[in-house]
Amino acid sequence: MGNPLSLWHFYFRNKRKVLPVIGILALAILGVVVTDSLLASARETAYATYGSYQKLILIAPRATRDQDLANPLQDSLAQLREVQLQVDVLDGPGGLSSYYAAVTAISGRVQAQLPAMRRLQTDAANARYYAARLRGDLVPLGDLIVRVQRLQSEEKAFEQLVQQLAQNPNDPRPLLAYLQQHQTLLRTVLPDSAQLGRLQAAVTSASSDAAGLQQSLQAMSRDTANLNSAGRKVADLPIPPSPSATIDQFKVALDHLTASLGSIQSPQPGLEKLVADSAHIPGTAFVKRDAYSNLDINMLAGQAQFDLYGFDQPGMAQLLALYGDRVAVGRLPRADANEIAISEEIARSRQVWIGGKLGNNVDELDRLPDAFTVVGIIRGPTRIGLIPLDYMTEHYLFERRYQGLVVVPQTGHEQAVHDQLQALIGDSAFRLFDWSYIKAKIDSLIANLDVINRFLILLVTIVLALVVGLLNNLFFRQRMNEFGLLAAVGYSRWGLILRVVWESLGVTLASWLIGVGLGVAVLSWFNISFIVPHGLLMNVFDWNVLLLHTLPIPLMVFLFGMGTVGWQLLRLDPISIIERRD
Amino acid sequence: MLSGYDLALDYRTGGSVAHAVDNVNLAVDQGSFVGLIGPSGSGKSSLMYLLSGLKRPTRGSVTFEGRDYHGIPAGGLMRLRRQRFGFVFQQHFLINYLSALENVMVGAVRRNHEVAAYGQELLRRVGLGNKLEKRPYQLSIGERQRVAVARALVHHPAVVFADEPTASLDQATGREVINLLADYRARGEGSLVVVTHDPAMLTGADRVLQMRDGKLSAA
Repeated sequence: MGNPLSLWHFYFRNKRKVLPVIGILALAILGVVVTDSLLASARETAYATYGSYQKLILIAPRATRDQDLANPLQDSLAQLREVQLQVDVLDGPGGLSSYYAAVTAISGRVQAQLPAMRRLQTDAANARYYAARLRGDLVPLGDLIVRVQRLQSEEKAFEQLVQQLAQNPNDPRPLLAYLQQHQTLLRTVLPDSAQLGRLQAAVTSASSDAAGLQQSLQAMSRDTANLNSAGRKVADLPIPPSPSATIDQFKVALDHLTASLGSIQSPQPGLEKLVADSAHIPGTAFVKRDAYSNLDINMLAGQAQFDLYGFDQPGMAQLLALYGDRVAVGRLPRADANEIAISEEIARSRQVWIGGKLGNNVDELDRLPDAFTVVGIIRGPTRIGLIPLDYMTEHYLFERRYQGLVVVPQTGHEQAVHDQLQALIGDSAFRLFDWSYIKAKIDSLIANLDVINRFLILLVTIVLALVVGLLNNLFFRQRMNEFGLLAAVGYSRWGLILRVVWESLGVTLASWLIGVGLGVAVLSWFNISFIVPHGLLMNVFDWNVLLLHTLPIPLMVFLFGMGTVGWQLLRLDPISIIERRD
Repeated sequence: MLSGYDLALDYRTGGSVAHAVDNVNLAVDQGSFVGLIGPSGSGKSSLMYLLSGLKRPTRGSVTFEGRDYHGIPAGGLMRLRRQRFGFVFQQHFLINYLSALENVMVGAVRRNHEVAAYGQELLRRVGLGNKLEKRPYQLSIGERQRVAVARALVHHPAVVFADEPTASLDQATGREVINLLADYRARGEGSLVVVTHDPAMLTGADRVLQMRDGKLSAA
């Protein structure tokens, strides 16, 4: 015969009262486990997404809103506008076309007036030849005129952007929308290097043709004067003024445009020196030029930009080796190709695989021009994405502020290398991005969610402590006779309190274990069905969450319940219970 | 064996003092059956609380087996009640989620097979041998009180205090309960102090004492 007052008897003979309490507590603990784990998952996913910074330091030009508005693209647009004005001068009244008409008319007039004068005829033919060449030189300008017309619509969009930003300076969306549209339109508006080269050759040719033509016209003028002095009555030929000055002005405008476009793709001044100087810092494993960019990815706490490294081929291999990653499927991107290799978690997040496309043609928030083809899937402990350096730096639309360098410190030299780099940069227009900076950023982003989560846990804990405490009290009042009798027949007061302690402890402990167990089960299912397929990260057995963060609920419930019941037990007067006549 | 000397118990309510027990001297010999009768509020239950150590007297002293309660701390008095005394109250105070036998075992000081067998024997004696596993709500009021009697006797107490044990029972059932207690005394296992307002329940008592306004007199 066991102890009739054992916990076993109490729990199993009072199932209807105990189980609802266990259920309520367990469900609350389940809720805490799930919300807390999701928050931890958001943090871990963010850490993993930017995990590459744990072993490297990125140095990039400072990017400000002012720079966004005053970037070389804007300057190029202004230069292109100037070219347009010069084209108008060349093609308009008094320009090359009318000059051509005037010159070609000379030959006819000479032929009609002086059929016998062969020398003059030859000079006139020469003039017509050069005039024809000059007209041919104008052909590439036609294409430019079309582009300039499109530029005018672009300018209107830019003016609209400036107005929007002036009205609402803190809203970045118009700027983002403009830059996206800007990139697509500019590609069709701005001439590329080859086109500019042909145009410059044409203008140079036009300049020399104009000089040749003017010499021919002057020779004709001299011929006419000689004929007249010889007694032949030849009418003076109408020699139009030389177009050389107009052509030269056009050439200057074109040179400015070429220089401006060139500055878009050239790196931030001082980058090359920084690359060279960084390599000499003691404790540096390697230094690489980087044309970094971003992919838009979905994380549990919202959208985020996943960093891509634009390296040369050896650099890509070095980066993989640094993290112990490898190309599991496919290959690394080829030089000068719009190709990309990404970690499989990122591929899952974007729902692409080998042959899939990424870029601002696919997702306007991707900072990749047009479309990049996924050629490699990377597997390993660190999530990385690789794009070719040369493709990125030779692309007009890849602005200089996305060109920087990556410095990999040797193990144990991280802080020293960081400090040296910081000293090297000084006040120049570059800044450092390392793990401590990135981690602080992530933590600050999640800080608000953390506060909300803690508030919820506190709220749940307080409400549950009150509810379960009240239930406990009601239950205790129903058992007053039991405790009164036991106290009367000689059971010690502390023994009775200890008995209630064990009873409450058993209930809260069971609730805790069941709640945590249910939490693990639900999280495991969610992990398999959602987290992993979306490239997110979740530690189902995060003991910090499962043990420490859930503990306040049973603890508070236990302490509150025990506090009130214990107090009543201490003040219990068995005689008043014995004498009750109810 | 159990004696009270010049016992007094005062209740202070506001500015007035009520003398629940007023200069009572009483001795309960080993194996005796002492009955206390009196009207409601006469102080008989209060006297029983003093004798059993449930209350400390305002004045006077109680000794049990030569030990004065004044020299025994609260914990010692609890142990005394638990180990040497048995209690039957007007209400049965059975624990609802325990069986009849388990309720009896609540009174046991040690719990082993012998004690359990004795508990079963007691229940058989009180006529509940076939209801060992029944819960209190499955028993009649008289049966519940008989279980309470068995609970008071299971640890072989030296003194059994019964405070109005028959008040909530009909005459016949009350008589059965008193007989059970008297039988325990008759077996020589302990003394019996019965508080009641019904003199008919004290026919087997060695002494019947009358309480009136806190004072004791022979009935």
